[in-house]
Amino acid sequence: MFLRQRETLSFDRSVPGKRGMDLPKLDVPAARDTRPAHLKRGGFAALPELSEVEVIRHFTRLSKWNYGLEDGMYPLGSCTMKHNPRVNEKVAALAGFTDSHPMAPDALVQGNLELIYTLQEWLKEITGLPGVTLQPSAGANGEMTGIMLIRAYHLAKGSHRRVILIPDSGHGTNPASAAMAGFEVVELPSRPDGTISFEDVTDPVNGRVRKGLQTLVSELGTEIAGAMITNPNTTGVFEFRFKEISDLLHSVGALVYMDGANMNALVGVARPGDFGVDVMHLNLHKSFSTPHGGGGPGAGPVCCIQAMIPFLPVPVVVRATEKVGEGEVARHSYHWDWNQPQSIGKVHTFYGNFGVLVRALAYCFSHGSDGLREATLRAIVNANYVRARLKHAFALHIESPSLHEVVFSDSNQARHGVHTLDIAKRLIDHGYHPPTIYFPLIVPGALMIEPTESEGKDELDAYCDALLEIAREVEENPDALHQAPTQAPLRRMDETTAARKPVLRWAKA
Amino acid sequence: MRYLPSSPSEDQALLATIGVARAEDLLAGIPEGLRLHRALDLPTQCSEQEVTWDFMDLAQRNQRFCAQFLGAGAYDHFVPAAVDALVGRQEWLTAYTPYQPEISQGTLQHIFEYQTQVCDLTGLEVSNASLYDGGTACVEAALMAVRVAKKRKTLLVSRGIHPFYRQILATSFAPHEDLKVVEVALRDGVTDPADLQAKLNGDVAAVLLGYPNFLGCVEDLTALATPIHAAGALVVSVTQEALAFGWLEAPGKVGADFACGEAMSLGNRPSFGGPYLGFIAVKDAFKRELPGRIVGQTKDLDGRTGYVLTLTAREQHIRRDKATSNICSNQGLVALRANIFLQLAGPEGMKGLAEQNAAKAQYLRQRLLELPDMEAVPEQPFFNEFVLRYKGDMAALQAACLEESLLPGLDLGRFYPEYAGCILWCATELHSRRMIESLVETLARVPATV
Repeated sequence: MFLRQRETLSFDRSVPGKRGMDLPKLDVPAARDTRPAHLKRGGFAALPELSEVEVIRHFTRLSKWNYGLEDGMYPLGSCTMKHNPRVNEKVAALAGFTDSHPMAPDALVQGNLELIYTLQEWLKEITGLPGVTLQPSAGANGEMTGIMLIRAYHLAKGSHRRVILIPDSGHGTNPASAAMAGFEVVELPSRPDGTISFEDVTDPVNGRVRKGLQTLVSELGTEIAGAMITNPNTTGVFEFRFKEISDLLHSVGALVYMDGANMNALVGVARPGDFGVDVMHLNLHKSFSTPHGGGGPGAGPVCCIQAMIPFLPVPVVVRATEKVGEGEVARHSYHWDWNQPQSIGKVHTFYGNFGVLVRALAYCFSHGSDGLREATLRAIVNANYVRARLKHAFALHIESPSLHEVVFSDSNQARHGVHTLDIAKRLIDHGYHPPTIYFPLIVPGALMIEPTESEGKDELDAYCDALLEIAREVEENPDALHQAPTQAPLRRMDETTAARKPVLRWAKA
Repeated sequence: MRYLPSSPSEDQALLATIGVARAEDLLAGIPEGLRLHRALDLPTQCSEQEVTWDFMDLAQRNQRFCAQFLGAGAYDHFVPAAVDALVGRQEWLTAYTPYQPEISQGTLQHIFEYQTQVCDLTGLEVSNASLYDGGTACVEAALMAVRVAKKRKTLLVSRGIHPFYRQILATSFAPHEDLKVVEVALRDGVTDPADLQAKLNGDVAAVLLGYPNFLGCVEDLTALATPIHAAGALVVSVTQEALAFGWLEAPGKVGADFACGEAMSLGNRPSFGGPYLGFIAVKDAFKRELPGRIVGQTKDLDGRTGYVLTLTAREQHIRRDKATSNICSNQGLVALRANIFLQLAGPEGMKGLAEQNAAKAQYLRQRLLELPDMEAVPEQPFFNEFVLRYKGDMAALQAACLEESLLPGLDLGRFYPEYAGCILWCATELHSRRMIESLVETLARVPATV
């Protein structure tokens, strides 16, 4: 609850002599000063001097200016803001995990290694792909890892391919990751239904012809290393020709990368490995419920086909099974294998965001095979319920059947001079977090709603009621919407000045 | 399933509104042949109690120690209780990236404060909302250096940089065939000035130097920066133990143009290597080349001070393949732990803790050198890590330590053949005199080499 309208920067409240941390008594001789004089630490310009009470109050008050998932529905499309179970936090905080050192000998961290091995087994079965690395720290890190695997795969065949195809509906991280991995990006156009176009597409505005998949594959052929495809795509629609797409790409030796950001629509229902995907990443902070933490940490495991396993980052976890007599329970031991001569190397300093992996496995154990499928179906039902309730007030730019998320356009409201941003800001006045806005880029004024399976009928109804009321307000009093939000601690922010004259840190006045 | 708010009557109401009989009917968009027509071959759902037991069992299969004398990029420090208590608040834990500033001021102001403190620690002018970890921060700094240096295509990397950081650099630079990564040798534990001079030329964009380096040695940044700047290249300092900033002068004040590294030491635990906290800071001139999210201060319509994500024209969601980096997620919650930690510590706490770390490490070194099998290697100034040569049997030492629930330092031979038989030791404020003595007593009992 926003009880205070201001919480100043802690630097402005610093008072010399205050302490928030007492040090233990030093039980060894004081340090000799061995530093060269010029390398001796001078003063600090910003670190504040505050008591523990003040620091705790500062961060508690600041926290109240954040909308969190436990405040209510948070339907950011493509972000899968599902419930973050508290038991996952509890088990991830067990000292046996948090105190364990990444350089400790394998024999001393058998619990961690078994956990990593087990999570890999779950992800293999869920994706239908036999290779996994848990090393990537986030989705984008996973994308880059996957693209490097594609590069390594082709290089091992002696083939230097330079192009990655990416649909115009894809996340911005896709082209950025492909570029960081040294590839040239060629854009694939979408059809009016949001799916990838095989045929060339003529832009209705400028008459420019954009080459479709068929043309690009026949023209670029073996120049194509692979394609990065989000499925279901960013409009929440399954690429229904996926098998044909992958067959076509495979016919020129190219590989298919799947951006798994929308895996919440598929777990237990369809497996990428079964429909032609060669390599993909999962976002454990989306589909597997680990908290977003205001921006991270996440985890972006990569799964791949058999032929790409030799290129996975090092080290890889290996399970050895001790021979036992009949009727006895098999005993397993685990170790890291660093000897992978064809590996791309490393993408994380150690083994990935281990604490996030613990939470994701707890999510898996809680749900089980039955719960995972139930959650997927429920997420799809919820998105379609929102679609059914709102489709008369907000324009469905794309009519194809929605899976776990639904994308509306602001075209009905734009006629009254009200745009997506205004609608989003008014939702804040209704006590809700807005959906993802202005993405995907192929939908004008997009409002992308992903309720996830965590919402019940009451919460969905309240959210839809708020949006319907906003739609009525657009017709009755459109100007008022430009003022929104009026109920938040702050009104709209001057982002232009922020970028033109950046103030990026505090400095003493 | 306890996480699904679902009742038969409500489910029916949802489906009726949608106009389908069963949830499965909504899968029509997925071609029949591409669907999974069986249950996943995995165990079925579990209660919270069963899940808790399973994980307690796994956690117990990790060996616990009375003391870990191992650092090497992952440091055991005391974490104040306030850190855990505050980050457990759902407003911090569950929020997304702050896309809607009006209801995300908590996260935004926290990042602004975090950025300010990273600038303070490093003596540089601009930082960002954090990067994945020390190794990936190193990659981002290196890629940024070749971006700003335009025509220069070589990166010099000191052999004193963490071996895993160097491995990630090699992986990330491999696809860029026009770029070259060249190693600069060590001499007596620090970057060899002669080798550096020999490798500096007009093609060198930047030089990466450990501060302190992987062997715990303090590199003289000032001295090394002179020839590097004379050759027109940038100095990038890489710090894997951020607590060293309480002991050593800020890198930006002694010659570094960029500073990057690992700040897990500030309020975090070893956690088997992650999630950790990559940091980066640069001189103001380079701010529009930084990777990742950056928070800036601004005003709202009523003139009230607030914070927003800014300089977004650098980022992937706007620039796509022309972005400064592909990074989207940061390490928000880990950065929050560091922010809280730094505000609790303050300038006196940072300096005091750093002095304790230096004192403990010096005492540990002095006591270890009393053992006949321990031998000094050429000594450089160090912070909380140092190298000693061990003439005894490494396996016997390991075994003796484990028997006493002590985790010894790192056997360096695996990473540095030239340091075979050497151990990288670490001590922090967590190591009491008693623990150090217990280690020395244990090592004294290791049977002599035959």
